[in-house]
Amino acid sequence: MTKQIFLDQLRAGLYGLPQDDIEERVSFYSEMIDDRMEEGLTEEAAVAGIGPVDTIISQIIAETPLPRLVREQIKSRPRMRAWEVILLILGFPLWFPLLIAAFAVIFSVYVVIWSVILVLWAVEIACIAGAFAGVIVGFIQIFQGNLLFGLLLISAAVLLSGLSILLFFGCIAAAKGALYLTKKVALGIKSLFLRKENSK
Amino acid sequence: MDIQLKRGLLDVCVLAAIKDEDSYGYKIIKDLKPYTELSESTLYTILKRLESAEMLTVRSVEHDGRLRKYYHITAAGLNRIDDFKEDWKEIQSIYQFVTKEDHQND
Repeated sequence: MTKQIFLDQLRAGLYGLPQDDIEERVSFYSEMIDDRMEEGLTEEAAVAGIGPVDTIISQIIAETPLPRLVREQIKSRPRMRAWEVILLILGFPLWFPLLIAAFAVIFSVYVVIWSVILVLWAVEIACIAGAFAGVIVGFIQIFQGNLLFGLLLISAAVLLSGLSILLFFGCIAAAKGALYLTKKVALGIKSLFLRKENSK
Repeated sequence: MDIQLKRGLLDVCVLAAIKDEDSYGYKIIKDLKPYTELSESTLYTILKRLESAEMLTVRSVEHDGRLRKYYHITAAGLNRIDDFKEDWKEIQSIYQFVTKEDHQND
């Protein structure tokens, strides 16, 4: 387990305790891990030396008096809500355009990614169409007596069909890449929200 | 060991670990290791308790690009150690009394 994972789990597990108390404990354990690593231990070994995070969490919660936990719950909830509502209303002119801008940015990222794919496929289709047209028109030209021009068209068509075969694989790979990228972006956005939920 | 008794002993142990010079969390645990096993969460609780009792003060010192907390013993902390030494004399005489009873029973 890495130090960051350990501290994140600790922070999430202590949710409900006073915020400054949580941060103080997290920085205490962070210092402990850093000091172990400074002695030459690997990050993994330093974290393991602290002990299982679940045990530590339950020990801390067990040590914290119940009235304090309850008080913290009662104290933080309604006040936070009231402040949140006020801030939401007052900040509307600020956060609403920002929210729209954020969505617009995300949307444009998707559009850019998929436009590249669209362009690639358009070129691919153009190549195939060009190849077919080249062969047909080339033969017509030969039958009409323009041998050289006809041959030129047919050879251009062969070149285009070769290009289209190569491009086909390129298109497939690009589409796969775009799909992967899209999933990555979606995952990034999701984890952003998850982290907010945990640290609240 | 009785939890209350051990709690009092560990408080004094931690104070003794910072008596001669200011020390930090991991060093305190290492210094006490030959004498008693102290977990990080137990140490945290003890340090907090001693801080609120004004037996020690805390300061953050930059070390290697990060902050490390150093604990400094106060006069009240030194008094606590002296009290413990006095208490210990009493405990020793109680111990002798208790074991004498045992010997008489044998």
